Amino acid sequence: MDLINPAVVDLSRFQFALTALYHFMFVPLTLGLTFMLAAMETVYVVTGRQVYKDMALFWGKLFGINFALGVATGLTMEFEFGTNWSMYSRFFGDMFGTPLAIEGLMAFFMESTFVGLMFFGWDRLSKPAHLAITYLVALGSNLSALWILVANASMNVPHGAHFDPETLRMTFDSFVGVVFNPDAQAKFVHTSVAGYVAASMFVMGISAFYLLRREHRAFAARSFRMAALFGIFSTVAVITLGDVLGRLDYEHQPTKIAAIEGLWHTSKPPYEPWIVAALPNDAKQESSFEIGVPFVLTPLITHSFDTPITGMIELEDAAAPRIASGITAISALRRYEESHLGADLEVFHAHQNDMGYGLLATRHAPNQDVTAIAPEQLQSVIEQTKPDILPNVFVTFWSFRIMVFLGVFFFVLFAMASYLSLKNQLERNRLFLKLCMWSIPLPVLATEFGWITAEGGRQPWTVFERLPTFMSASTHSMSYMLFSLAGFTMLYSIFIAVELYLMFKFARLGPEAHHQHDDGADPAHLSVVAH
Amino acid sequence: MIILLRFAGLGLALVVALLFAVFVGDQGPWYFAWAVGTVMIILVAAAGAVLFDAQDGRDTSQEEF
Repeated sequence: MDLINPAVVDLSRFQFALTALYHFMFVPLTLGLTFMLAAMETVYVVTGRQVYKDMALFWGKLFGINFALGVATGLTMEFEFGTNWSMYSRFFGDMFGTPLAIEGLMAFFMESTFVGLMFFGWDRLSKPAHLAITYLVALGSNLSALWILVANASMNVPHGAHFDPETLRMTFDSFVGVVFNPDAQAKFVHTSVAGYVAASMFVMGISAFYLLRREHRAFAARSFRMAALFGIFSTVAVITLGDVLGRLDYEHQPTKIAAIEGLWHTSKPPYEPWIVAALPNDAKQESSFEIGVPFVLTPLITHSFDTPITGMIELEDAAAPRIASGITAISALRRYEESHLGADLEVFHAHQNDMGYGLLATRHAPNQDVTAIAPEQLQSVIEQTKPDILPNVFVTFWSFRIMVFLGVFFFVLFAMASYLSLKNQLERNRLFLKLCMWSIPLPVLATEFGWITAEGGRQPWTVFERLPTFMSASTHSMSYMLFSLAGFTMLYSIFIAVELYLMFKFARLGPEAHHQHDDGADPAHLSVVAH
Repeated sequence: MIILLRFAGLGLALVVALLFAVFVGDQGPWYFAWAVGTVMIILVAAAGAVLFDAQDGRDTSQEEF
C-alpha cells in the first residue's frame, strides 16, 4: 500500500484552495474600505459637513457586514493547517505558527476591539477620538493581513530559518529575517493595495448605481469622487508592486516565473516576446497559438535588455543533479537518525540545500523510500522526478494573465472615472456609470486569480525547495476528506449568499440617514446636468 | 503648561516618526512605501472631496448670476 495517497493530497489541496478563495472574497474589501472610511471621516472632522459623516456611516455599515463574514470564513482555515496539513505543520510549524499567532492577536484583540468602538462610539467619543479609532481599525485589519502574508512569504522564500536534523523541522532563526523578508514586504503591499482597489470599485460602483437612478446624488457624487481618486493611485501601486513581485520570483522562484510566462525554453534577449495569449500544453511541454509582443519580456522580467530567462526544460535539466544530491541528503539523514555518526551528518550538511529535491523523488522511489533506490535505478528515478519540479503551466499562465488584464482595465476605468468626476461630467456618461456598476466584482476576481498564480506557481512545494506538497498533507481517509469538503462548500456558500443578500439589501436602501441630515442637497453642477 | 506639553508630545511623535522612517526605510523599504503611500492616497481622496465642495460652491454662485 502506498504511504502517500494522491487522492487525499488532491482533496486536501482542493479543500484549502476552496476555503482560501472563499475567504479572500471578503478580505480585500475589509483591507480597503477601512482606509476609505478613514478618508471620509477625515474630511468630516476637517470640514464638519454632515454628508461626510453619512458617508462614513453608510459605507461603514457595508464594511461591518463584510467584516463579520470575513472573520467567520477565516477561522476555519487556521484549524485546517492542523487537521489537513499536519505534516506541513510539524515541519514548518515554528516558522508559520509565530506570525499566525500574532495575526490572531491582531485580528481578535486589536481589530475587533476597535471595530466595536468604531461602530458604537459615534455618540460617545469626540470627533478626533473617533477618527483615531477608525484609523486604528484600518491599521489593525491591514496588520492582520501583514502577518498572514509574512507567513505565506516564508513558504515561498524561506528566510530566517534552517532545517534542524535533530528534530527534523525547520527552526526559527531570526524574527527580523522573517518579517523583513523582501517577498513578505512586496506581497503585503501588493495585497493590501489590491484591497484598496477592490474597495474603491465597490464604493464607485454603488455610487454609480445611485447616480444612474438619480438618488442620493450629493452623497453618491462625493463618494464616487473619493473612490475614483483612491482607486487610481491604488491601481498604480498594485501594478508597481506586481512588477516587484515578478522580479523577486525571477530571482527566487524561476520555475514560477517561467510558468507564468509560458517559457518552455530559455529566452533569447532582447527579441523574446511577452506572450499575450497561448495554449500551454503541460503534457507535451509546448505552447500553441502564441500571440506575443516582441522585445517586451526581457526588460519586463530582468529589468535589462540582455539577460536570458531560463526556460522550464532547462530548469528541469538543471534539477537533475539537485535530485541526486537530495537523495544523498535524505539517505545520510536516515543513517544519522539511526547511528548518530558525525560522518553521516557531514554528508547531510554537504547536500542539505537539495534535501527538498530528495523528498520530491519519494513518489518515484521503490515503496516511496529514497534509501531503497538501487544504483541502477537512480537515473530512472531522477528522470521521472524532473518534470515534477514544474507547476501546472496552463493554470499559472492564464490566472496571471487574467489578473494582469483586469489590472490594466482598472487603471483605465479609474483614470476615466477621476477625469469625469473632476470635470463634473459623470451623469452625462450613463454608459460609463453602468460599466462602473458592473465592474464591482472584478477586483475581487483579480485578487483570486492573483492567489492562484502565487500558490499554483509555487507548486510542487508547500515550502519552496524544502517540502513537497504531497508530503505535507495529513493521512486522512477519502471519506473524511469528502465529507469535510462537502460541509465547507455548503457552509461557505451560505456565507456568500448571506453576504450578497445583505449587501444588495442595504445598498438598495441607500444612506437613509442622509435624507435627514443632508446639508448640501444635490450638488449644483449635478442639478444643472439633470435638468 | 498645556501648550508646552502639547509641543513636547508633538516633538516626541516627530522623533518616533523619524526613527520609524530611518529604521523601516532601511530594513523594509516597501513597508515604508506602504505607510507613506497609504497616507498619500487618503490625503488625495480627501482633497478630491474638498475640491468637490469647492466646485459645488462655485457652480452654485455662478448659477446665482
